[in-house]
Amino acid sequence: MRGALKMARGFELRPDRLRPAGWRTDTAMAYALAGGALAVVALFTIYPVGYALVGSLYTLSPILPRSFAGLSNYGLIFGSPYFGFALRTTAVLALATVPAVVLLGLLVAVLLSRPFRGATLVKVVILLPWTIPAATGGVMWKGVFADAWGALNATLYELGLVHNYIAWLTTPRLAFLATTIAQVWAQFPLAAVLLLAAMQAIPGELYEAAALDGAGGLRAFAAVTLPHIQPMLVVVTLFEILVALTAFDLIFALTGGGPGTATTVLSYFIWAESFKMLSFGKGLALAAIIAGLSLVLIAALMRLMPREALVGEGR
Amino acid sequence: MRRPVWERIVFPGAVTAVMLFALAPFLWVILSGFLPEVAILTVPPEWLKYGVILDNYRYIVTGEVPRAYQVGGVLRRMISEEVRAVPRAALNSTLVALGTLLLNWILGAPAAYAYARMRFAGRVATFYFITASRLIPAAALAIPYYLIIKQLGLLDHHLALILIHTALTLPFTVLILVLYFRTIPAEIEESAQLDGATRPMILRRIVLPLALPSLVGTGLFAFMLSYSEFLFSMLVLGSPQTRTLPVTLASVSTNPDVTWTLLSAGTTLAVLPALLLVWPIWRYMVRGLVTGAV
Repeated sequence: MRGALKMARGFELRPDRLRPAGWRTDTAMAYALAGGALAVVALFTIYPVGYALVGSLYTLSPILPRSFAGLSNYGLIFGSPYFGFALRTTAVLALATVPAVVLLGLLVAVLLSRPFRGATLVKVVILLPWTIPAATGGVMWKGVFADAWGALNATLYELGLVHNYIAWLTTPRLAFLATTIAQVWAQFPLAAVLLLAAMQAIPGELYEAAALDGAGGLRAFAAVTLPHIQPMLVVVTLFEILVALTAFDLIFALTGGGPGTATTVLSYFIWAESFKMLSFGKGLALAAIIAGLSLVLIAALMRLMPREALVGEGR
Repeated sequence: MRRPVWERIVFPGAVTAVMLFALAPFLWVILSGFLPEVAILTVPPEWLKYGVILDNYRYIVTGEVPRAYQVGGVLRRMISEEVRAVPRAALNSTLVALGTLLLNWILGAPAAYAYARMRFAGRVATFYFITASRLIPAAALAIPYYLIIKQLGLLDHHLALILIHTALTLPFTVLILVLYFRTIPAEIEESAQLDGATRPMILRRIVLPLALPSLVGTGLFAFMLSYSEFLFSMLVLGSPQTRTLPVTLASVSTNPDVTWTLLSAGTTLAVLPALLLVWPIWRYMVRGLVTGAV
């Protein structure tokens, strides 16, 4: 109970239980202890963000002289049809994967919340997709969906469901579907595990009380389970939105953004602008736009959520 | 009393379906690593007709070209050395991940102790700064990270990747360790303090031993994240000798000279640590992380 609920309920930075020996020495000692972590995080946060904001105002490229460009990078991006495509693809991917991940995670958590024989084995197996690199997951799904030798085509053919192999990865819509499935596969284990933890933290007496009141099954789920796991549901949903908006590895390995621009999400677009086109300034402006978009989304979602549900951001 | 129908049929059916979804790509990759290419290219598929072979693995380990390549068409005569970089890449990934794990412990544990137990100026602000730092999308940081590493002269060094992965995982490590340290009764520390023990002594002698499960948990988390990280690894490491596993595999998979069966053998080797580590990860990380009691 302790960890999960505290994690989801947020951190009250409450007064210390240890009486401080002296304010000033404690501050010095505290920074001696925390300084290393703070330094590393600051080096890789403050400087990059500042750099991105300033750099996005320049024409910046390893192959061109640096020159001030004002807001023209932003103008070029908003004027480019590819930005619109990438924005739309990312939004659709998020709309498709986030509900699927949360619902499948919830279903799995419900299935696993009651003890049964072999439950641990099932949990370990379900965790597997999450433990391997997303890029490797992309490679593996490429083997499943591949047009000429994929396991899916072979299986469908053997079962007599299709008479011609389906071009999963070279048809835009199907490639997007394949990406969605692979993304859900990679993400649902974490959602399931976190929701399961939140469920197991619910005191059993509540269910007994609900049973006495005649509420079983679905009604107990609605009256007891859902309210108690709500903070964790919020955390998982927020986290999955962030993951979907910044998805990159799996798509890079599975489709490489193609065919055409069918699976070119914003992160892939940044990568292509920066490291294929070597247009760093535009890449940075794009990055600033995406960071701004995620912050706005997160802030909006947080306003909708109860205060205690807010902390617990993971990776 | 007969159990209701959903308990006999629906429940096991749903569990089986979810397990199959989770496992299917693994099963396919492991199986095809033992097949000759011809077996998967025929229509209709004849996966097992040509028997199970070890050629793909033999090639990765010894460099002996699989028979299918020797008799195959012109295209297939060309075989990439790239797939042979997989064992080396797995080693690189392990080294980087171990470095990240250690640095997480060295920097994260003292910081978490300060936030869990001490009062000091700027505590709330710096704590929120650390935890909120991960809300910035990784892709937004790619170019600045690249330039920082370049300025530090660390391009193509594993140390660069260790630093980046540490910055990515530390917020989580600190957060989790703070939660754990708080569950340790403060009385033990208070009496040690009365006996004249300093903060670092208390941390080393009392808190760390008591918090061992959480250290293992957060350490494994940092290890796994570092082992899987792709975007920054691709940016920072250029040469094939230093590349980590996700980068090597992604590059091999787009190489037209590498057959799927050969790639499968390489992928199987790549995911082997995950297959072996998944049980301790569940035991120490996931269960410990979320229940707070291992």
